[in-house]
Amino acid sequence: MKKLSYALANVSAMIGGLTLLAIILMTVASVIGRALVPLGFGPVPGDYEITEMAIAFVIFCFLPLCQLVAGHATVDVFTSGMGQRTNLILLGIWEVALTATMIFVAWRLSHGFMDKLENKEISMLLAIPAWWGYFAALFPASVGVIVGVWSAYDRVITAVSGKVTRTIEGANH
Amino acid sequence: MSNVEIGLMAFPILLAIIFMRAPIGLAMLLVGVAGMWIITGSPNIIMSKFKSEVFSTFASHSLSIVPIFLLMGHLAGLGGMSQALFKAAEAWLGHRKGGTAMAAVGACAGFGSICGSSVATAATMAQVALPELRRAGYSGGLSTATLAAGGTLGILIPPSVVLVIYATLTETNIAKLFLAALVPGIMAAIGYMLVIALYVRIHPESAGSLPRLPYRERFRALGNVWPVALIFLSVVGGIYTGVFNPTEGASVGALGTGLVAWASGGLDWPRLKSALIATASGTAMIFLIVLGAGYFNAFLALTQMPQIVSQWIVAQGFGPWFVLACILLIYLVLGCIMDSLSMILLTIPIFFPVMLALDFGMSAEHMAIWFGILVLIVVEVGMITPPVGMNLFVINAIDRTTPIRETYYSVMYFVSTDLARVVLLTVFPAITLFLIP
Repeated sequence: MKKLSYALANVSAMIGGLTLLAIILMTVASVIGRALVPLGFGPVPGDYEITEMAIAFVIFCFLPLCQLVAGHATVDVFTSGMGQRTNLILLGIWEVALTATMIFVAWRLSHGFMDKLENKEISMLLAIPAWWGYFAALFPASVGVIVGVWSAYDRVITAVSGKVTRTIEGANH
Repeated sequence: MSNVEIGLMAFPILLAIIFMRAPIGLAMLLVGVAGMWIITGSPNIIMSKFKSEVFSTFASHSLSIVPIFLLMGHLAGLGGMSQALFKAAEAWLGHRKGGTAMAAVGACAGFGSICGSSVATAATMAQVALPELRRAGYSGGLSTATLAAGGTLGILIPPSVVLVIYATLTETNIAKLFLAALVPGIMAAIGYMLVIALYVRIHPESAGSLPRLPYRERFRALGNVWPVALIFLSVVGGIYTGVFNPTEGASVGALGTGLVAWASGGLDWPRLKSALIATASGTAMIFLIVLGAGYFNAFLALTQMPQIVSQWIVAQGFGPWFVLACILLIYLVLGCIMDSLSMILLTIPIFFPVMLALDFGMSAEHMAIWFGILVLIVVEVGMITPPVGMNLFVINAIDRTTPIRETYYSVMYFVSTDLARVVLLTVFPAITLFLIP
């Protein structure tokens, strides 16, 4: 499960990263196209709405890895003196809370998806159905649930046994 | 209990949860959700908000700049640009007393002009400058403190991720904020250099110096930093003149930085991969805070606490300058323990209406820009104030040979110039605003 969680989170982050690169390239293409209007080129149509839809997908893709590497911002100056056991227990509690939140977010997102599917909302310029974005985001959101459940389970085990097997320090940010 | 009282109670509860080491974004989200439930008496509003609001919060065109700037900062470390910047600054400053440390500050300023994050600036420049500083005979304390302080230039000098968030929260023009940050950012770099000059006179044993270089070599070294200058001018200049919107500017900058890195042989697939992974983690961290702050602030808006607090403050007849001083002081204290983005997202929805209600003798837009720059500086001071200064930890992790106590001691010199600058910019708003039409 550990290997699977890491693999899923990393693949998800890479897909998000490549999507981000694609957004950057599209945006630059749009800028160049706009500069070359006299030559018959033009900006990428609807680049604004494509960016919005794609960036939401990117963020969802990035979330699982951040949880796995304990990358979320915390304040640990008050707990650092409390001893490792207390810290492990707190870590377990918050990891469970974070995972519960991720499950809730994914569940509500799926309802949001069905809403958009029913009300046939479309984007202004390209008439992209709004449900596309929600549908795409469901995949990384599900990865977040799987990774989160493993990570919470692992943190709880660590809190009970007191044996640390992976990083509890936040990543640098 | 009235709604306002619930709103006021939420703060100590939120802080207690955060101090128990909960992820800050999660803490804001949980308190916000619980508060909304209590006030509306049912979970319905939460159930419906979560259906679309998480997605729409992430699907933000103005915030799409954040991951792009983060990626740009990670790519900037790969192309030898940090090395070129340091060599150029050293060619011009190295012969002075404390010159290598001044060069590190200058290089940080240059790197800050293409990087919007202070931790990334500190970490990247430390890789380049720390070994050189130690080789030139600088003490560990001065070397690490210089780079920690220099790192804050990453965010003080535009582009700046913190300013992007401030701009979206207060609906202030991001291009004008970037322009306004320029002079205070340069003042910061000069202030740090002056501190180094002073420090090496108080502690002469802590520094060495290098032979003076002829001007031909100085200009040649300066010539090597042209990609940095070009990227900075096209990003900030392009956004300011309206050639690009901010996302376009950031994209052009990120692609340009990537191309420079690739052309110099610094960008291969494994490095691109690790840049993307680092961007992923940093971005997710920021957006969890943005998400949590969104719910927390929606809850506060329901309680009407922000308006009532700002009305109360105005009704007390406190002078505007007194209130501003209190706000800046709160940031300085909070900054010792909390990261800059969380602080801004948590407090601006309360402080900004207060600032708007007070009369500083300038237009609302000018006030928003000036206040934004002041807040930017005071929250960045938090990055280098003991005990919890993120930059101090980053540098300390890179240089294991220097005890953090020595860094703490030396960095206080830099903090003092930060405080002096805040006072100067508060008393003379024109320094920040003279470039803004």
